[in-house]
Amino acid sequence: MVRKVAALARLRVPDTDLSAWTDQLGRILSYIGQLESIPERPIAPEAPLPATPVRADEPIPGHGADALETNAPLTVHGYGSVPRIVGSLTP
Amino acid sequence: MNNNPAEGEARGVRETAADVNGGRRRAVEVLEEALARVESGDRRVGAFIEVTTGPAREEAATVDARVAAGEKLPLAGVPIAVKDNLWVAGRQTTCASRILRGFRPSEDATAVARLRRAGAVFVGRTNMDEFAMGSSTENSSVLKTANPWDLSRIPGGSSGGSAAAVSARFVPAAIGSDTGGSIRQPAACCGVVGFKPTYGRVSRFGLVAFASSLDQVGPLTRNVSDAARVYRVIAGQDPRDSTSAGEPVGDPEAAAGTGFAGRTVGFLVDADAEGLDPEVAANLEEARKAFRAAGASVTTVSIPRASAAVAIYYVIASAEASSNLARFDGVRYGPREPASDLLSLYVETRTAGFGAEVKRRILLGTFALSAGYHEAYYGRAMSARQLLSEDFDRAFSRVDVVVCPSIPTPAFRLGEKTEDPLSMYLSDVFTVPASLAGLPAITVPSGLSRGRLPLGIQIVAPRFSEETLFAAAGALERELAFPQELPSGMA
Repeated sequence: MVRKVAALARLRVPDTDLSAWTDQLGRILSYIGQLESIPERPIAPEAPLPATPVRADEPIPGHGADALETNAPLTVHGYGSVPRIVGSLTP
Repeated sequence: MNNNPAEGEARGVRETAADVNGGRRRAVEVLEEALARVESGDRRVGAFIEVTTGPAREEAATVDARVAAGEKLPLAGVPIAVKDNLWVAGRQTTCASRILRGFRPSEDATAVARLRRAGAVFVGRTNMDEFAMGSSTENSSVLKTANPWDLSRIPGGSSGGSAAAVSARFVPAAIGSDTGGSIRQPAACCGVVGFKPTYGRVSRFGLVAFASSLDQVGPLTRNVSDAARVYRVIAGQDPRDSTSAGEPVGDPEAAAGTGFAGRTVGFLVDADAEGLDPEVAANLEEARKAFRAAGASVTTVSIPRASAAVAIYYVIASAEASSNLARFDGVRYGPREPASDLLSLYVETRTAGFGAEVKRRILLGTFALSAGYHEAYYGRAMSARQLLSEDFDRAFSRVDVVVCPSIPTPAFRLGEKTEDPLSMYLSDVFTVPASLAGLPAITVPSGLSRGRLPLGIQIVAPRFSEETLFAAAGALERELAFPQELPSGMA
Protein backbone atom coordinates (compact mmCIF):
# COMPACT_ATOMS: atom_id res chain seq x y z
CA MET A 1 0.00 0.00 0.00
CA VAL A 2 2.78 2.47 0.89
CA ARG A 3 4.46 1.76 -2.44
CA LYS A 4 1.22 2.29 -4.33
CA VAL A 5 0.52 5.62 -2.61
CA ALA A 6 4.14 6.68 -3.14
CA ALA A 7 3.80 5.99 -6.86
CA LEU A 8 0.64 8.13 -6.99
CA ALA A 9 2.57 10.90 -5.20
CA ARG A 10 5.56 10.60 -7.56
CA LEU A 11 7.85 9.48 -4.73
CA ARG A 12 10.10 6.46 -4.32
CA VAL A 13 10.38 4.66 -1.00
CA PRO A 14 13.68 2.77 -0.76
CA ASP A 15 13.43 -0.89 0.37
CA THR A 16 15.43 -0.10 3.50
CA ASP A 17 12.85 2.49 4.63
CA LEU A 18 9.70 0.59 3.71
CA SER A 19 8.99 -1.09 7.02
CA ALA A 20 9.69 2.06 9.07
CA TRP A 21 7.41 4.12 6.81
CA THR A 22 4.66 1.52 6.94
CA ASP A 23 4.87 1.42 10.72
CA GLN A 24 4.84 5.22 11.16
CA LEU A 25 1.98 5.79 8.74
CA GLY A 26 0.05 2.94 10.33
CA ARG A 27 0.33 4.56 13.76
CA ILE A 28 -0.76 7.94 12.41
CA LEU A 29 -3.75 6.40 10.60
CA SER A 30 -4.69 4.51 13.72
CA TYR A 31 -4.71 7.79 15.66
CA ILE A 32 -6.80 9.42 12.93
CA GLY A 33 -9.23 6.51 13.28
CA GLN A 34 -10.79 8.33 16.26
CA LEU A 35 -12.71 10.43 13.71
CA GLU A 36 -15.00 7.44 13.25
CA SER A 37 -16.57 8.28 16.61
CA ILE A 38 -17.73 11.67 15.36
CA PRO A 39 -21.11 11.42 13.64
CA GLU A 40 -20.93 12.27 9.96
CA ARG A 41 -23.01 15.16 8.77
CA PRO A 42 -23.46 16.51 5.31
CA ILE A 43 -21.34 19.61 4.86
CA ALA A 44 -23.85 22.37 4.29
CA PRO A 45 -23.10 25.93 5.34
CA GLU A 46 -25.95 27.53 7.28
CA ALA A 47 -25.80 30.70 5.21
CA PRO A 48 -24.84 30.90 1.56
CA LEU A 49 -21.15 31.69 1.16
CA PRO A 50 -20.28 35.00 -0.47
CA ALA A 51 -19.36 34.73 -4.12
CA THR A 52 -15.67 34.53 -4.89
CA PRO A 53 -14.52 38.11 -5.45
CA VAL A 54 -13.21 38.79 -8.91
CA ARG A 55 -10.84 41.50 -10.00
CA ALA A 56 -11.15 43.50 -13.20
CA ASP A 57 -10.21 41.45 -16.24
CA GLU A 58 -7.35 43.71 -17.30
CA PRO A 59 -3.80 42.93 -18.30
CA ILE A 60 -1.22 43.39 -15.55
CA PRO A 61 2.54 43.09 -15.85
CA GLY A 62 3.71 39.52 -15.44
CA HIS A 63 7.09 38.04 -14.69
CA GLY A 64 6.60 34.64 -16.29
CA ALA A 65 9.51 34.72 -18.73
CA ASP A 66 11.89 36.36 -16.22
CA ALA A 67 10.88 33.91 -13.51
CA LEU A 68 11.44 30.96 -15.83
CA GLU A 69 14.86 32.24 -16.88
CA THR A 70 15.85 32.89 -13.27
CA ASN A 71 14.58 29.71 -11.71
CA ALA A 72 14.12 26.86 -14.20
CA PRO A 73 16.72 24.08 -13.85
CA LEU A 74 17.24 23.95 -17.61
CA THR A 75 16.15 26.36 -20.33
CA VAL A 76 16.92 26.28 -24.03
CA HIS A 77 16.31 29.44 -26.11
CA GLY A 78 14.05 30.82 -23.37
CA TYR A 79 11.94 27.65 -23.03
CA GLY A 80 11.94 25.19 -20.15
CA SER A 81 13.51 21.94 -21.24
CA VAL A 82 12.40 18.48 -20.03
CA PRO A 83 13.27 14.92 -21.04
CA ARG A 84 11.12 12.76 -23.27
CA ILE A 85 7.43 12.82 -22.31
CA VAL A 86 5.74 10.38 -24.69
CA GLY A 87 5.37 6.95 -23.18
CA SER A 88 7.01 7.84 -19.86
CA LEU A 89 4.09 8.61 -17.56
CA THR A 90 2.81 5.11 -16.88
CA PRO A 91 4.45 4.06 -13.61
CA MET B 1 26.60 57.11 14.89
CA ASN B 2 25.95 54.77 17.78
CA ASN B 3 26.71 51.19 16.87
CA ASN B 4 26.50 49.72 20.34
CA PRO B 5 24.40 46.58 19.77
CA ALA B 6 23.04 46.73 23.31
CA GLU B 7 21.58 50.17 22.64
CA GLY B 8 18.76 48.84 20.54
CA GLU B 9 18.05 45.69 22.53
CA ALA B 10 15.23 47.07 24.59
CA ARG B 11 13.60 48.95 21.74
CA GLY B 12 10.57 47.39 20.23
CA VAL B 13 8.70 48.09 17.01
CA ARG B 14 6.87 51.24 18.10
CA GLU B 15 9.86 52.84 19.88
CA THR B 16 12.11 52.19 16.88
CA ALA B 17 9.60 53.69 14.45
CA ALA B 18 9.09 56.72 16.74
CA ASP B 19 12.86 57.25 16.99
CA VAL B 20 13.38 57.07 13.23
CA ASN B 21 10.31 59.18 12.38
CA GLY B 22 11.40 61.73 15.00
CA GLY B 23 14.94 61.98 13.60
CA ARG B 24 16.53 60.71 16.82
CA ARG B 25 18.04 57.69 15.08
CA ARG B 26 18.55 56.81 11.47
CA ALA B 27 17.30 53.56 9.91
CA VAL B 28 20.85 52.76 8.84
CA GLU B 29 22.03 52.97 12.47
CA VAL B 30 19.16 50.80 13.69
CA LEU B 31 20.02 48.24 11.03
CA GLU B 32 23.74 48.17 11.87
CA GLU B 33 22.89 47.54 15.53
CA ALA B 34 20.60 44.67 14.55
CA LEU B 35 23.23 43.20 12.22
CA ALA B 36 25.81 43.40 15.01
CA ARG B 37 23.48 41.55 17.40
CA VAL B 38 22.87 38.83 14.78
CA GLU B 39 26.60 38.60 14.08
CA SER B 40 27.48 38.14 17.75
CA GLY B 41 24.56 35.92 18.78
CA ASP B 42 23.24 33.85 15.89
CA ARG B 43 26.13 31.40 15.90
CA ARG B 44 24.58 30.04 19.11
CA VAL B 45 20.93 30.25 18.03
CA GLY B 46 20.79 29.58 14.29
CA ALA B 47 17.68 31.69 13.72
CA PHE B 48 18.68 32.88 10.23
CA ILE B 49 19.19 30.83 7.10
CA GLU B 50 20.55 33.93 5.41
CA VAL B 51 21.27 37.49 6.53
CA THR B 52 20.79 39.79 3.54
CA THR B 53 23.10 42.60 4.60
CA GLY B 54 23.54 44.38 1.25
CA PRO B 55 19.89 44.77 0.24
CA ALA B 56 18.95 45.58 3.86
CA ARG B 57 21.44 48.48 3.89
CA GLU B 58 19.89 49.82 0.68
CA GLU B 59 16.41 49.52 2.18
CA ALA B 60 17.47 51.34 5.35
CA ALA B 61 18.98 54.18 3.29
CA THR B 62 15.72 54.42 1.33
CA VAL B 63 13.75 54.67 4.57
CA ASP B 64 16.03 57.45 5.81
CA ALA B 65 15.48 59.33 2.55
CA ARG B 66 11.69 58.93 2.83
CA VAL B 67 11.70 60.16 6.42
CA ALA B 68 13.94 63.10 5.47
CA ALA B 69 11.40 63.95 2.75
CA GLY B 70 8.72 64.26 5.41
CA GLU B 71 7.02 60.83 5.37
CA LYS B 72 5.78 59.40 8.67
CA LEU B 73 5.98 55.61 8.46
CA PRO B 74 4.36 53.17 10.91
CA LEU B 75 7.40 50.85 10.75
CA ALA B 76 10.10 53.44 9.96
CA GLY B 77 13.45 51.66 10.04
CA VAL B 78 12.12 48.62 11.95
CA PRO B 79 14.38 45.63 11.20
CA ILE B 80 12.20 42.63 10.40
CA ALA B 81 13.09 38.99 9.85
CA VAL B 82 10.98 37.05 7.36
CA LYS B 83 10.26 33.33 7.42
CA ASP B 84 11.81 31.50 4.47
CA ASN B 85 8.41 30.80 2.88
CA LEU B 86 7.46 34.39 2.02
CA TRP B 87 8.69 36.06 -1.14
CA VAL B 88 11.06 38.99 -0.86
CA ALA B 89 11.78 40.10 -4.43
CA GLY B 90 15.13 38.98 -5.80
CA ARG B 91 16.20 37.14 -2.63
CA GLN B 92 15.95 33.40 -2.15
CA THR B 93 12.79 31.76 -0.77
CA THR B 94 13.40 28.06 -0.16
CA CYS B 95 10.98 26.92 2.59
CA ALA B 96 14.14 25.42 4.14
CA SER B 97 13.85 22.70 1.49
CA ARG B 98 16.41 21.25 -0.89
CA ILE B 99 13.76 21.20 -3.61
CA LEU B 100 13.53 25.01 -3.71
CA ARG B 101 17.23 25.75 -3.30
CA GLY B 102 18.15 28.80 -5.36
CA PHE B 103 14.57 29.90 -6.04
CA ARG B 104 14.33 33.69 -6.38
CA PRO B 105 10.85 35.19 -6.67
CA SER B 106 10.37 38.10 -9.04
CA GLU B 107 8.24 40.13 -6.64
CA ASP B 108 7.38 40.67 -3.00
CA ALA B 109 4.63 38.79 -1.22
CA THR B 110 1.76 41.21 -0.56
CA ALA B 111 2.51 41.18 3.19
CA VAL B 112 6.17 41.95 2.47
CA ALA B 113 5.25 44.75 0.02
CA ARG B 114 3.01 46.32 2.68
CA LEU B 115 5.78 46.11 5.29
CA ARG B 116 8.17 47.71 2.82
CA ARG B 117 5.78 50.58 2.14
CA ALA B 118 5.45 51.06 5.92
CA GLY B 119 9.24 51.50 6.27
CA ALA B 120 10.38 48.05 7.40
CA VAL B 121 13.89 46.81 6.60
CA PHE B 122 14.35 43.10 5.78
CA VAL B 123 17.32 41.72 7.68
CA GLY B 124 17.15 38.16 6.39
CA ARG B 125 15.19 34.94 6.13
CA THR B 126 14.57 32.74 9.13
CA ASN B 127 14.80 29.03 9.60
CA MET B 128 11.68 26.85 9.61
CA ASP B 129 10.49 23.29 9.36
CA GLU B 130 10.62 22.32 5.70
CA PHE B 131 7.47 23.68 4.01
CA ALA B 132 6.24 24.68 7.51
CA MET B 133 5.64 21.03 8.40
CA GLY B 134 6.74 20.51 11.97
CA SER B 135 6.64 21.80 15.53
CA SER B 136 10.33 22.09 16.39
CA THR B 137 12.12 23.54 13.31
CA GLU B 138 14.17 20.31 13.30
CA ASN B 139 12.70 19.42 9.89
CA SER B 140 14.72 22.19 8.23
CA SER B 141 17.08 20.87 5.55
CA VAL B 142 19.47 23.75 6.28
CA LEU B 143 20.30 24.04 9.99
CA LYS B 144 19.10 23.48 13.55
CA THR B 145 17.72 26.39 15.56
CA ALA B 146 18.11 26.54 19.34
CA ASN B 147 15.77 28.08 21.90
CA PRO B 148 17.39 31.29 23.23
CA TRP B 149 16.19 30.41 26.74
CA ASP B 150 17.99 27.04 26.72
CA LEU B 151 20.21 26.25 23.77
CA SER B 152 19.68 22.48 24.19
CA ARG B 153 15.95 22.86 23.50
CA ILE B 154 13.75 23.41 20.46
CA PRO B 155 12.46 26.89 19.60
CA GLY B 156 9.12 25.37 18.54
CA GLY B 157 7.96 25.40 14.96
CA SER B 158 7.44 25.76 12.24
CA SER B 159 8.30 29.50 12.51
CA GLY B 160 11.08 28.63 14.99
CA GLY B 161 13.69 30.90 13.40
CA SER B 162 11.33 33.87 13.52
CA ALA B 163 10.45 33.22 17.19
CA ALA B 164 14.11 32.73 18.17
CA ALA B 165 15.20 35.91 16.30
CA VAL B 166 12.72 38.01 18.28
CA SER B 167 13.35 36.22 21.57
CA ALA B 168 17.15 36.64 21.25
CA ARG B 169 16.59 40.39 20.64
CA PHE B 170 18.13 40.23 17.17
CA VAL B 171 15.10 42.04 15.70
CA PRO B 172 12.01 43.60 17.29
CA ALA B 173 9.65 41.77 14.91
CA ALA B 174 9.53 38.80 12.59
CA ILE B 175 6.96 37.46 10.18
CA GLY B 176 5.81 33.87 10.33
CA SER B 177 3.07 31.73 8.86
CA ASP B 178 0.60 29.68 10.85
CA THR B 179 -1.22 26.63 9.46
CA GLY B 180 -1.86 24.67 12.67
CA GLY B 181 -0.01 26.77 15.25
CA SER B 182 3.28 27.58 13.51
CA ILE B 183 3.34 31.15 14.86
CA ARG B 184 1.66 30.65 18.25
CA GLN B 185 3.50 27.48 19.34
CA PRO B 186 7.08 28.73 18.73
CA ALA B 187 6.14 32.11 20.23
CA ALA B 188 5.16 30.28 23.43
CA CYS B 189 8.34 28.18 23.42
CA CYS B 190 10.51 31.31 23.03
CA GLY B 191 8.60 33.71 25.32
CA VAL B 192 7.35 36.13 22.67
CA VAL B 193 3.98 37.25 21.34
CA GLY B 194 2.76 35.38 18.26
CA PHE B 195 -0.44 36.27 16.45
CA LYS B 196 -2.43 34.38 13.81
CA PRO B 197 -5.09 36.60 12.22
CA THR B 198 -8.54 35.43 11.13
CA TYR B 199 -8.43 33.28 8.00
CA GLY B 200 -8.73 35.84 5.18
CA ARG B 201 -7.35 38.85 7.05
CA VAL B 202 -3.89 38.83 5.49
CA SER B 203 -3.16 38.13 1.84
CA ARG B 204 -1.27 34.90 1.13
CA PHE B 205 -0.03 36.11 -2.24
CA GLY B 206 3.67 35.24 -2.18
CA LEU B 207 3.36 32.80 0.72
CA VAL B 208 4.39 29.36 -0.52
CA ALA B 209 1.22 27.31 -0.03
CA PHE B 210 1.13 24.41 2.45
CA ALA B 211 -2.57 23.95 3.32
CA SER B 212 -4.60 26.63 1.61
CA SER B 213 -7.72 26.41 3.77
CA LEU B 214 -5.59 27.06 6.89
CA ASP B 215 -2.47 29.12 6.05
CA GLN B 216 -2.26 32.64 7.49
CA VAL B 217 0.58 35.17 7.74
CA GLY B 218 1.21 36.95 11.04
CA PRO B 219 3.72 38.73 13.28
CA LEU B 220 5.94 37.66 16.16
CA THR B 221 7.03 40.49 18.48
CA ARG B 222 8.08 41.12 22.06
CA ASN B 223 4.81 42.71 23.13
CA VAL B 224 1.12 42.79 22.20
CA SER B 225 1.00 46.40 20.96
CA ASP B 226 3.93 45.79 18.62
CA ALA B 227 2.10 42.77 17.17
CA ALA B 228 -0.97 44.98 16.65
CA ARG B 229 1.15 47.57 14.81
CA VAL B 230 2.67 45.03 12.41
CA TYR B 231 -0.68 43.28 11.90
CA ARG B 232 -2.38 46.59 11.03
CA VAL B 233 0.19 47.13 8.29
CA ILE B 234 -0.17 43.70 6.64
CA ALA B 235 -3.96 43.23 7.02
CA GLY B 236 -6.55 43.95 4.38
CA GLN B 237 -8.01 42.74 1.13
CA ASP B 238 -5.75 42.00 -1.80
CA PRO B 239 -7.00 41.47 -5.36
CA ARG B 240 -4.27 38.84 -5.78
CA ASP B 241 -5.67 36.60 -3.03
CA SER B 242 -9.34 35.84 -3.61
CA THR B 243 -9.65 34.45 -0.07
CA SER B 244 -8.62 37.77 1.49
CA ALA B 245 -11.48 39.62 3.14
CA GLY B 246 -12.58 43.25 3.07
CA GLU B 247 -13.85 43.53 6.66
CA PRO B 248 -12.63 46.74 8.35
CA VAL B 249 -9.45 46.18 10.37
CA GLY B 250 -10.18 48.92 12.92
CA ASP B 251 -7.50 50.04 15.35
CA PRO B 252 -5.98 46.94 16.99
CA GLU B 253 -3.16 48.94 18.58
CA ALA B 254 -5.59 51.21 20.42
CA ALA B 255 -7.66 48.12 21.35
CA ALA B 256 -4.59 46.60 23.04
CA GLY B 257 -4.67 49.42 25.58
CA THR B 258 -8.38 49.47 26.39
CA GLY B 259 -8.41 46.76 29.05
CA PHE B 260 -10.89 43.92 29.42
CA ALA B 261 -13.06 45.02 32.35
CA GLY B 262 -16.65 43.85 32.11
CA ARG B 263 -15.90 41.33 29.36
CA THR B 264 -16.21 37.55 29.70
CA VAL B 265 -13.36 35.08 29.38
CA GLY B 266 -14.10 31.38 28.86
CA PHE B 267 -11.35 28.98 29.91
CA LEU B 268 -11.36 25.82 27.83
CA VAL B 269 -12.66 23.15 30.19
CA ASP B 270 -11.16 20.30 28.19
CA ALA B 271 -7.68 21.84 28.62
CA ASP B 272 -7.65 20.86 32.28
CA ALA B 273 -7.83 17.22 31.23
CA GLU B 274 -5.64 14.66 32.88
CA GLY B 275 -2.10 14.74 31.55
CA LEU B 276 -1.64 18.49 31.39
CA ASP B 277 1.84 19.42 32.59
CA PRO B 278 1.48 20.59 36.24
CA GLU B 279 3.46 23.77 35.57
CA VAL B 280 1.26 24.58 32.57
CA ALA B 281 -1.83 23.94 34.71
CA ALA B 282 -0.53 26.24 37.45
CA ASN B 283 0.24 28.90 34.86
CA LEU B 284 -3.32 28.63 33.53
CA GLU B 285 -4.54 29.35 37.06
CA GLU B 286 -2.35 32.49 37.11
CA ALA B 287 -4.01 33.59 33.87
CA ARG B 288 -7.44 33.10 35.49
CA LYS B 289 -6.41 35.35 38.35
CA ALA B 290 -4.94 37.89 35.94
CA PHE B 291 -8.16 38.21 33.95
CA ARG B 292 -10.14 38.59 37.20
CA ALA B 293 -7.68 41.28 38.34
CA ALA B 294 -8.27 43.03 35.01
CA GLY B 295 -11.98 43.19 35.84
CA ALA B 296 -13.16 40.46 33.46
CA SER B 297 -15.55 37.74 34.52
CA VAL B 298 -14.15 34.27 34.15
CA THR B 299 -16.04 31.13 33.32
CA THR B 300 -15.43 27.82 31.56
CA VAL B 301 -16.45 26.73 28.07
CA SER B 302 -16.42 23.38 26.36
CA ILE B 303 -15.32 22.76 22.78
CA PRO B 304 -16.21 19.07 22.62
CA ARG B 305 -14.56 18.41 19.25
CA ALA B 306 -11.26 20.09 20.25
CA SER B 307 -9.95 16.73 21.39
CA ALA B 308 -10.27 15.44 17.81
CA ALA B 309 -8.67 18.52 16.27
CA VAL B 310 -5.22 17.02 15.76
CA ALA B 311 -6.73 14.06 13.89
CA ILE B 312 -8.92 16.34 11.74
CA TYR B 313 -5.98 18.63 11.08
CA TYR B 314 -3.57 15.96 9.92
CA VAL B 315 -6.06 14.65 7.37
CA ILE B 316 -7.03 18.04 5.94
CA ALA B 317 -3.62 19.73 6.07
CA SER B 318 -1.88 16.69 4.58
CA ALA B 319 -4.48 16.33 1.84
CA GLU B 320 -4.07 19.97 0.85
CA ALA B 321 -0.27 19.71 1.09
CA SER B 322 -0.16 16.67 -1.19
CA SER B 323 -2.00 18.71 -3.79
CA ASN B 324 -0.08 22.00 -3.28
CA LEU B 325 3.32 20.30 -3.33
CA ALA B 326 2.61 18.49 -6.60
CA ARG B 327 4.06 21.56 -8.34
CA PHE B 328 7.58 20.75 -7.13
CA ASP B 329 8.73 18.41 -9.85
CA GLY B 330 12.09 19.65 -11.12
CA VAL B 331 10.65 21.39 -14.17
CA ARG B 332 10.16 25.05 -13.21
CA TYR B 333 12.37 25.61 -10.17
CA GLY B 334 14.94 24.08 -7.87
CA PRO B 335 17.65 21.49 -8.49
CA ARG B 336 16.85 18.68 -10.93
CA GLU B 337 17.95 15.08 -10.62
CA PRO B 338 19.31 13.47 -13.80
CA ALA B 339 16.65 11.37 -15.54
CA SER B 340 16.06 9.87 -18.96
CA ASP B 341 12.30 10.39 -19.07
CA LEU B 342 9.74 12.70 -17.50
CA LEU B 343 8.29 10.33 -14.89
CA SER B 344 11.77 9.51 -13.57
CA LEU B 345 12.53 13.22 -13.49
CA TYR B 346 9.51 13.83 -11.25
CA VAL B 347 10.12 10.84 -8.99
CA GLU B 348 13.88 11.26 -8.59
CA THR B 349 13.72 15.05 -8.09
CA ARG B 350 10.95 14.79 -5.49
CA THR B 351 12.54 11.84 -3.71
CA ALA B 352 15.88 13.67 -3.43
CA GLY B 353 14.38 17.11 -2.80
CA PHE B 354 11.84 16.53 -0.03
CA GLY B 355 12.77 15.60 3.54
CA ALA B 356 11.21 12.76 5.54
CA GLU B 357 8.40 14.72 7.21
CA VAL B 358 7.27 16.33 3.97
CA LYS B 359 7.20 12.92 2.28
CA ARG B 360 5.25 11.48 5.20
CA ARG B 361 2.58 14.17 4.87
CA ILE B 362 2.41 13.88 1.08
CA LEU B 363 1.87 10.13 1.47
CA LEU B 364 -0.74 10.64 4.17
CA GLY B 365 -2.56 13.27 2.10
CA THR B 366 -2.40 11.24 -1.10
CA PHE B 367 -3.83 8.27 0.77
CA ALA B 368 -6.62 10.36 2.35
CA LEU B 369 -7.66 11.62 -1.08
CA SER B 370 -7.30 8.35 -2.96
CA ALA B 371 -10.18 6.43 -4.50
CA GLY B 372 -11.88 4.23 -1.92
CA TYR B 373 -10.56 6.15 1.09
CA HIS B 374 -11.56 9.73 0.28
CA GLU B 375 -14.90 9.64 2.09
CA ALA B 376 -13.64 7.67 5.10
CA TYR B 377 -10.81 10.13 5.77
CA TYR B 378 -11.11 13.48 3.99
CA GLY B 379 -14.92 13.56 3.93
CA ARG B 380 -15.18 12.58 7.58
CA ALA B 381 -12.53 15.12 8.61
CA MET B 382 -14.32 17.93 6.76
CA SER B 383 -17.55 17.03 8.51
CA ALA B 384 -15.81 16.99 11.92
CA ARG B 385 -14.17 20.32 11.10
CA GLN B 386 -17.59 21.89 10.62
CA LEU B 387 -18.82 20.49 13.95
CA LEU B 388 -15.71 21.90 15.66
CA SER B 389 -16.40 25.30 14.13
CA GLU B 390 -19.97 25.16 15.44
CA ASP B 391 -18.61 24.29 18.92
CA PHE B 392 -16.71 27.60 18.85
CA ASP B 393 -19.80 29.50 17.62
CA ARG B 394 -21.75 28.16 20.61
CA ALA B 395 -18.94 29.12 23.00
CA PHE B 396 -18.80 32.66 21.59
CA SER B 397 -22.50 33.13 22.24
CA ARG B 398 -21.55 33.05 25.95
CA VAL B 399 -18.03 34.51 26.13
CA ASP B 400 -15.96 37.16 24.36
CA VAL B 401 -12.78 35.09 24.12
CA VAL B 402 -11.70 31.48 24.75
CA VAL B 403 -8.46 30.87 26.66
CA CYS B 404 -6.22 27.80 26.93
CA PRO B 405 -2.48 27.09 27.07
CA SER B 406 -0.52 27.58 23.83
CA ILE B 407 1.70 24.55 24.47
CA PRO B 408 1.07 21.40 26.52
CA THR B 409 4.61 21.42 27.98
CA PRO B 410 7.56 23.85 27.95
CA ALA B 411 9.95 23.47 25.00
CA PHE B 412 11.32 19.93 24.77
CA ARG B 413 14.91 18.94 24.04
CA LEU B 414 16.34 18.96 20.53
CA GLY B 415 16.07 15.41 19.18
CA GLU B 416 13.57 14.29 21.81
CA LYS B 417 10.66 13.69 19.40
CA THR B 418 12.27 13.43 15.98
CA GLU B 419 11.75 9.66 15.82
CA ASP B 420 8.10 9.84 16.89
CA PRO B 421 6.05 11.91 14.42
CA LEU B 422 2.74 11.34 16.22
CA SER B 423 4.13 12.63 19.50
CA MET B 424 5.45 15.70 17.63
CA TYR B 425 1.99 16.27 16.08
CA LEU B 426 0.43 16.30 19.55
CA SER B 427 2.49 19.38 20.51
CA ASP B 428 -0.07 21.30 18.42
CA VAL B 429 -3.05 20.06 20.42
CA PHE B 430 -4.00 23.54 21.68
CA THR B 431 -3.32 25.51 18.52
CA VAL B 432 -4.99 23.49 15.75
CA PRO B 433 -8.62 24.04 16.87
CA ALA B 434 -8.51 27.81 16.12
CA SER B 435 -6.80 27.08 12.79
CA LEU B 436 -9.50 24.65 11.71
CA ALA B 437 -12.23 27.14 12.65
CA GLY B 438 -10.41 30.04 10.93
CA LEU B 439 -10.34 32.09 14.14
CA PRO B 440 -7.85 34.78 15.22
CA ALA B 441 -5.63 33.61 18.07
CA ILE B 442 -2.65 34.99 19.94
CA THR B 443 0.04 33.67 22.27
CA VAL B 444 0.91 35.89 25.21
CA PRO B 445 4.05 34.90 27.14
CA SER B 446 2.77 34.09 30.59
CA GLY B 447 5.64 33.09 32.84
CA LEU B 448 8.68 30.89 33.27
CA SER B 449 8.78 27.29 34.43
CA ARG B 450 10.99 26.24 37.36
CA GLY B 451 13.62 25.38 34.74
CA ARG B 452 13.30 28.96 33.41
CA LEU B 453 11.57 28.00 30.18
CA PRO B 454 8.80 30.23 28.80
CA LEU B 455 5.13 29.32 29.05
CA GLY B 456 2.39 30.79 26.89
CA ILE B 457 -1.32 31.45 27.13
CA GLN B 458 -3.44 31.39 23.99
CA ILE B 459 -6.47 33.63 23.51
CA VAL B 460 -8.97 32.90 20.71
CA ALA B 461 -11.66 35.32 19.49
CA PRO B 462 -14.54 35.14 17.00
CA ARG B 463 -13.80 35.64 13.30
CA PHE B 464 -12.75 39.21 12.47
CA SER B 465 -12.84 40.19 16.17
CA GLU B 466 -9.14 41.01 16.35
CA GLU B 467 -9.83 44.19 18.34
CA THR B 468 -11.46 42.10 21.09
CA LEU B 469 -8.53 39.70 20.92
CA PHE B 470 -5.96 42.49 21.31
CA ALA B 471 -7.92 44.04 24.18
CA ALA B 472 -7.82 40.72 26.04
CA ALA B 473 -4.16 40.10 25.16
CA GLY B 474 -3.09 43.58 26.26
CA ALA B 475 -4.90 43.19 29.58
CA LEU B 476 -3.37 39.77 30.21
CA GLU B 477 0.10 41.01 29.31
CA ARG B 478 -0.12 43.92 31.76
CA GLU B 479 -1.32 41.71 34.61
CA LEU B 480 1.19 38.90 34.07
CA ALA B 481 4.23 41.12 33.39
CA PHE B 482 6.43 38.52 31.67
CA PRO B 483 10.09 39.15 32.64
CA GLN B 484 11.85 41.50 30.20
CA GLU B 485 15.30 40.02 30.89
CA LEU B 486 17.52 38.73 28.10
CA PRO B 487 16.87 34.98 27.61
CA SER B 488 19.30 32.90 29.67
CA GLY B 489 20.93 31.28 26.63
CA MET B 490 21.95 34.73 25.37
CA ALA B 491 23.40 36.11 28.61
